[in-house]
Amino acid sequence: MNYFQLFGIEASFDVDLQNLSSNYQTLQKTVHPDKFAHASEQEQRIAVQKSAHINDAYQTLKQPLLRAEYILIQRGVDMPNEQHSFGDTSFLMHQMELRETLEDVKSAGDVDAALLEVQRVLSSEYLQLTQLMRAQISENNSASNGAACDNLRKLKFYQKLNVEVDRLEDALFDD
Amino acid sequence: MAYSEKVLDHYENPRNVGSMDKNDPSVATGMVGAPACGDVMKLQLKISKDGIIEDAKFKTYGCGSAIASSSLVTEWVKGKSIEEAGKIKNTDIAEELALPPVKIHCSILAEDAIKAAIEDYKSKQGK
Repeated sequence: MNYFQLFGIEASFDVDLQNLSSNYQTLQKTVHPDKFAHASEQEQRIAVQKSAHINDAYQTLKQPLLRAEYILIQRGVDMPNEQHSFGDTSFLMHQMELRETLEDVKSAGDVDAALLEVQRVLSSEYLQLTQLMRAQISENNSASNGAACDNLRKLKFYQKLNVEVDRLEDALFDD
Repeated sequence: MAYSEKVLDHYENPRNVGSMDKNDPSVATGMVGAPACGDVMKLQLKISKDGIIEDAKFKTYGCGSAIASSSLVTEWVKGKSIEEAGKIKNTDIAEELALPPVKIHCSILAEDAIKAAIEDYKSKQGK
């Protein structure tokens, strides 16, 4: 049973998160340790394993990039090794520029405005790429799956940038 | 996880940080990235007419090991021919910096950056 079947939902990139969350809670109740208080050790162990499995499934389907990756792997798409270097020069040049812009935020005249501008640019580019990937995933042929895979790798660079933005925001406004 | 002394040295005193004009025909630019950790690495080599690397600069956004790997590479390639530089292996980098297994991909990234720069140089020369 794959993760989508586990939650009784359609295997698609578009997931109703509220529905997913309520199905998750219902499923977790069926394997709650309280229910197995008087069960055998083996039954208790199986319940714990099931609970962990349900949790993995939920965490995967909840996050868009993990969900996309899961869908593509389920389709048997040959995902390039995570450690494999990415060599799209113009994309990487742009990524370097974004990182340089982020670095300059600290020394900007108006730090708030500079940070907001970076966040605006990042979220609009992230959204654009996500929508492109979503369309490619739903198209579901070997060319579109490959293209979706490529965009997923690009989105991971944005994900990392967003972590950096959050870190900077904390550092700037924490004190 | 503790970094080795050599990684810390390169991280705290990175060699040859900077940029060159990527449109200069004698400048080769290698851009590589690692989606797993979001690291982005740029290696630039200034290459003489007889194919000797006269200068090298890098700019890396990434962890200490990625910065150290690219910093080390700029030191190593200077004075080498592009053929010799192309033979630098990630295992040499990892060994020199005593990188732990989880950081081997940083040395792979640095090796790939050299290769990408050499490719860029060849395509520029071919024009």
